[in-house]
Parts: sequence; C-alpha cells; structure tokens
Amino acid sequence: MSYDLSQMIRGRVWKFGDSVDTDAINPYYLYSTMEELKQHTMESYRPEFPKEVKPGDIIVAGRNFGCGSHRPGLVLKEVGIAAIVVESASRLFLRNNIALPLPIFVVPGIGGVIEDGETLELDYPNGKAINAATGASVAFRKYPPMIEQIFACGGLPALARQRYLSETQGKGVA
Amino acid sequence: MGQTMIEKLFSRHNLQGQQVRAGDFLDARIDGAMCHYQFMDVHKLAIDAGFKEGFPRIWDVERFFLLVDHHQPALAQNYADENVKMRREAARLGVKYFHDAEPGIAHQMMTDYGYVRPGELVVGNDSHTIAYGALNAGSSGITRADMMYALLFGELWFQVPETIKIVLNGRAPNYPIAKDIILYLAGKYGDDFAQNMSLEFTGSLVPGLDMDGRLCLSTSGVEVAAKFALFPFDEKTKAHVDTRTDKPYEPLIADPDATYVREIVVNVDEMPFVIAKPHQFGNVCPINEAGGIKIDQAQIGACTNGRYEDIEIAARMLRGRKVARGVRFLISPSSQQVYLQCLKDGLIAQLIESGAQVVTPGCGICQPKVGYLADGEVCITATTRNFKGRKGSLNSDIYLAGPLSVTAAAVAGKIVDPREVFDEL
Repeated sequence: MSYDLSQMIRGRVWKFGDSVDTDAINPYYLYSTMEELKQHTMESYRPEFPKEVKPGDIIVAGRNFGCGSHRPGLVLKEVGIAAIVVESASRLFLRNNIALPLPIFVVPGIGGVIEDGETLELDYPNGKAINAATGASVAFRKYPPMIEQIFACGGLPALARQRYLSETQGKGVA
Repeated sequence: MGQTMIEKLFSRHNLQGQQVRAGDFLDARIDGAMCHYQFMDVHKLAIDAGFKEGFPRIWDVERFFLLVDHHQPALAQNYADENVKMRREAARLGVKYFHDAEPGIAHQMMTDYGYVRPGELVVGNDSHTIAYGALNAGSSGITRADMMYALLFGELWFQVPETIKIVLNGRAPNYPIAKDIILYLAGKYGDDFAQNMSLEFTGSLVPGLDMDGRLCLSTSGVEVAAKFALFPFDEKTKAHVDTRTDKPYEPLIADPDATYVREIVVNVDEMPFVIAKPHQFGNVCPINEAGGIKIDQAQIGACTNGRYEDIEIAARMLRGRKVARGVRFLISPSSQQVYLQCLKDGLIAQLIESGAQVVTPGCGICQPKVGYLADGEVCITATTRNFKGRKGSLNSDIYLAGPLSVTAAAVAGKIVDPREVFDEL
C-alpha cells in the first residue's frame, strides 16, 4: 500500500526526552506477541502511554530517538501512531521507519515549539511542523528522491517485489 | 581532494561507478550479508510483500551467512519451532554457510571463520554488525526490510557518512581497555556524538591494541550512534585475516588529505576507570563516584566483551581469590572457538574454582534470557547495553564497565576502583 507523503498529518503530541531506546519501544525481550508489546510499549518512560495512546497521535522526542537494536518500531504503527517527529534519530530506527513505512521527520528545534498534549500539524510538501494552537512553526528538510520513492511504493519490501517482478518478467521465473 | 576510508569504500562499491563524497546517496554493491535468527522475520516480510513461497532466491549463496545466534540453544519453545522453519528455508534456498547447531554470537563467528575481509561492504540484520570495522571492513547493521532487499539483489541504498577521527594515544596496559575507552567517549561527548557518522580509529595506542580490543571498540561504535567504526589495516589485521581465509582483499587506507568533520584525541594513560550508571550508555562517571554500591550480579560476555582477553583478565585476577558470597558472577564466551581456547588455557577451571559460573556462548547474557534480575537488584556488566528492563525487572539497575572493573566488583561484592582490589595492577 503506497504512502502519500503530501497528505497533512495532524495529531495530539506525546512528548519524550533524549535517547529513547528500542528496548522501551519494543520490549521484545520480555514480551513475544504483538498484543503484549502493544500493552507495554514505551512504559519504561511513560507507564500511561500504552493505555492512553490513540490512533492518529504523534510522538515528539529529543535527540537519538530509537537508539539501541535494529528492531523496528512496528508496534508504534500498530497502536496507531501517525508520525514520529524528533530532534535526531538513530540511523537504524530511521531506516526502519522509511522501510515500514511510518512517517518519521527529523526536525531540529521541534522541542521548542510544541508541548505534551498539544496538537501538531505536519506539512511535508512545505517542510513545516506547526503548533496548531500557537501557530509557531519550525522547518525541516525533505527526503531525497530515492527515499521518497520508498514511501511512494509503500515501503522497501513492496519496492523489492516491484523491482523483482520487473526484472524477471518474461523470463519464466515466478 | 583526499578521501576517508568510508568514502573510498563507497566509491569502490557505487553501482553508478563514480566517486562519492560524504552526504551523497547511492546504491551500493554488497560483498557479504549476515542474518541471524531474524532471517525468519525477513522471510515473513517477503511473504507479506507478495512472494507466496517466501524468498524466491538469495542473490549469491557465496556471500550469505546464516547463523542462528540468539536462538541456539533454543531458550523458549517458540525459538525451537522457528529454528525448524529456518532449517527448512535454508535447505530450500541452498544456503551454503549455515551455522544452525552451534551456539555463539554471529559477530564473533563471522570473524572466527574468516567470513569478513578488509575493504568489504558487509551488512547484517543486527545493530552490532558494525563490529567488522575492526578488520578494516565497512560493516553496518541494517533493518529486516533492508535485508530483504539486499538478499534479493545484492544491493542497498546508503548515504555516505561524514567521518570523525578518534586519535587514541598512550600505551596499552596489561588489561583490556577498550570498554573503558568507548564509555569514556560516550560520557564526554554524548551517546550520539557519532550519529550517522563513520569513526576512524588511529593514534599511538592502536598498534598495541589486539584484535579482541579492536572488535570491542568497533562493536560498541553503535552505542555512540556510529554507522561504521573502522580500524586501519596493519600487521595484526593481516595475521588475523590471512589465517582464516584465502580469498583476496583490498584494504581501506584513508588519504592524508581526507576531510574529517571532527577530531577527538584521547590519552588513555590519563583516562580514569569509568562506569555507565543506569539506564543509558552515556550516563558515565569515574568508577570511584559509584563506589560502594552493592551488587547482586556481575557479568562478562556479549558481542562486545565475551572475547579471550575479557575472560583471561577475569581468570587472571581471580587466581587466589573468590567471588564475594551471594554474588552471581556470570561469564559467557562469545563463541565456541573462544570457549575452546579458554578451556585449553585453563581459564575456565580457574573461573569455576573461584566461584564464577560459565554459561553457553550466545547473546542470552545481554538479555534477560540468561540471568534475569529481580526488583531492586543491581548488576555490573561488561556487555552491550544498560537500558531499563534489559535484564528483566524494570526496577533493577544495570551498570556497564570493563571486564577488569566487573571482576573487581565480583570479588568485593560492590562497585569499586579495581586498583583497590587488585594490588598487583
């Protein structure tokens, strides 16, 4: 399923600090099923998060979000997070979100324009993150075309399938 | 204009052929791909994307390495069940290099068996794949979806990183020092000072660092958010690689006029013993500032610190000493090869005589799986991470330190400057 980066995202903000780790996002070591993970994601930072998060909510965090293992933040997509907006992200977490895809935007200065519980608007075509109540905004850089193509395809596995089919068509390979 | 090691690597591996610079995006040719137990998650991604039978092919079975790693031996029923499926898929795809019945950590086994050579671009679906930078290879962790793409085509997108030069000066002491160096760097410059960048280690200490110490530093590169962590090619690299593989290779050498985004100089002779307090890698202080904290468990192992030098120092320091009453001292060699060498040299007998427990090689010691902590318990460990809950209870505390400091704490029953316990240092 393709993902349209040009659509406006608007949602309630859950704010986190620096170096939120993948063990907290995805406590795989303690819980093995997605249902369990959904009940425990992010609880080591904010115990109320798994109980109160709603589809369409946005995570805003500090630097180095998603540090630690290469495990994806799929559970955040499953609980309905619409976007992740961070001062900086661990490169593996960034790669994972591009591949899923689950929109992730690196927006230096985001912590200064939005507080926990406020509503954030994300305007990708214009590269702007806007506090809906105050109008305060901060700019961010867009992805290079190579990455936008992955979003447009609906993630890296879908892109891989598309390329494989185009390369093997007519060669008798399924 | 000169190139850093990683600019050279990506210029050589660029499918478009031309030279690339830091900041450029490219599709790169992959020399080697390592998968551990999560191969089955990659397989599932392929099915979900529409490949009904799973992976249609591995692009090159000579360049694919499958090691069960975390899940050997199976520590839970679902691991055992997944391992059966993995064997079936490996057979169907004709996987040639498959370590399915051997415990151990993939990153150690990849180097034990000569699967990585200098100058190669190697990827793995594990964040600590950055380890092989110690062998002068460009290696980095990738995601499961990236792996699915890489295994089909032998190619993957990358952004060429900027490089930080880490100059390590001083003399190698008679105990392992790599863990203290990376913790010191994280404490001083932050746990993400190398975000998305490549590290190049150089300086007067480097020739004196053995491969075990280099592998610890490169593996730990990801804990300061690095994408690559490269050592120069030297006699020690050559000796390590040439005894394990006959395949040709071309080392990476940085140009003298290469551009570095930053240079950090550390004189290890003046560096204190350090420790990372709960619950982040960068929460570092000199060890005496945490002195006196009573411990319940001490650990040496994992992809960062389960090597010969880490176990040898524990055995050497425990000679004529005992682990403190009530303290559980867990030691896990990083591979069967490491374990065997330790056995042959009498290290394991020494550890057991002194009251330590030696557990099967593998990743379990760095997770809850081997040695859960209960509420209120304290662990000092030479493993990879101290995130909250990583060893079980969310109400336990994990301190990270080098193997010498961990052994000192095991003997004293509390966190302590190792020089207070070991007067021979």
